[in-house]
Amino acid sequence: MNDPVAFVAGLKLLGAGLAMLGAIGAGVGVGLAAAGGVQAMGRNPDAAPIIQTNMILGMAFAEAVAIYALAVALIIIFAA
Amino acid sequence: MTEPVAKKRIPVKRWMILGVIALGAYAAFFGPSLLKPISPVVVLPPEPTGLSIFGFEITNTILATLIADILLILLAIGAYRFVKSGKLVPGGFYNAFEAILEFLWNSVEGTAGKWARRIFVIPATIFLLVFMANMVKLVPGFESIGRIKQMHEGTGYAPVKLVSLGSLNLYTIDKGQPVEATANAEGETGSAEETSASLCTACEVVPFLRGSATDLNFTFALAVTAVVMTQVFGVWALGIPYFEKFFQFRQLINGGIFGLINFGVGFLEIILEFAKILSFGFRLFGNIFAGALLLSIVGALTAVGVPPFLYLFEVFFGIIQAYVFFLLSTVFISGATVSHHSEEHH
Repeated sequence: MNDPVAFVAGLKLLGAGLAMLGAIGAGVGVGLAAAGGVQAMGRNPDAAPIIQTNMILGMAFAEAVAIYALAVALIIIFAA
Repeated sequence: MTEPVAKKRIPVKRWMILGVIALGAYAAFFGPSLLKPISPVVVLPPEPTGLSIFGFEITNTILATLIADILLILLAIGAYRFVKSGKLVPGGFYNAFEAILEFLWNSVEGTAGKWARRIFVIPATIFLLVFMANMVKLVPGFESIGRIKQMHEGTGYAPVKLVSLGSLNLYTIDKGQPVEATANAEGETGSAEETSASLCTACEVVPFLRGSATDLNFTFALAVTAVVMTQVFGVWALGIPYFEKFFQFRQLINGGIFGLINFGVGFLEIILEFAKILSFGFRLFGNIFAGALLLSIVGALTAVGVPPFLYLFEVFFGIIQAYVFFLLSTVFISGATVSHHSEEHH
């Protein structure tokens, strides 16, 4: 607390780390999408290309949440 | 018959690889401090390389994008000449190129249907550019060769002269000589020529080349292009009624209370278009920037053994991210060409 500048800088890094907690949900989401996709491909290998496309699409949407968290973290570190 | 000949073959390549690994281990752990890997300085915005055209500063990411562009144009000229030559079976490099394009075409045709021919060019161009930029980024020398610059805060390293070619002096920075940078106000006011002429004491390397997708300007330019083209194709396919998706006045007038809700949903659609730009831009940027950071930090911690696998991982991720960008823009554009009024009658 004797050095307010360093204190604020430390809190910023802490905040950025906490912001990345948002990646938990995205991780679960991507994992679920992959699990569902692999199961579906196992049951119906003929439909693999369609399933794969939709799986990657769903993963990309789930991942977007983690990307917003990353954006917030980067803004906290570099811009705020 | 030929087996005895094959047995005599000396595994030169294997020994070369082992030798390179041993050299790397020596440089990283036992050798002089000059050879030791240095943990990178994390910089978010692209740094200027010192070049400029008409007062427009060329940053290192622009330079890398230009290299990717030139490679793509050469590839296009080669493919064009191949097509003109009349041969039907492509060989070698163009075979791979044809396989990629065929794969892309099948993806577009699967989602866009009869609009595929018109839509194809935009996502495919984005794919090729992002793919090429992500591959070019992995060439050694990127992010490690550049100008040395005085640091204003943190710990820099002392420069050591390697060789001089004519008037050009080549320096490297020495891990064994960390120098604490002192932030003095005088340094800011001193002219730029003076600082470049006199050697820095606490140095960092400003690379000449840095991966294109580690620059938000690159990814957001592509994202804005994709989303704007989504609107363009929507209007092309449906005409002015395309905008009824956003402003559902008809619903408001004769839809009752649910019409009011649908009218509000229309405004959410507008916000969604801007969210698309955001997620497009940050997805590519985040993945590639995090990958570059991971490579340089792990490379500084353990110089031997791990980085090659991370490089493989980065190659994989470069392709996947280019494909995701391609697929999402295809889906958005082909979604805009389909009228959503038909759904209501079901």
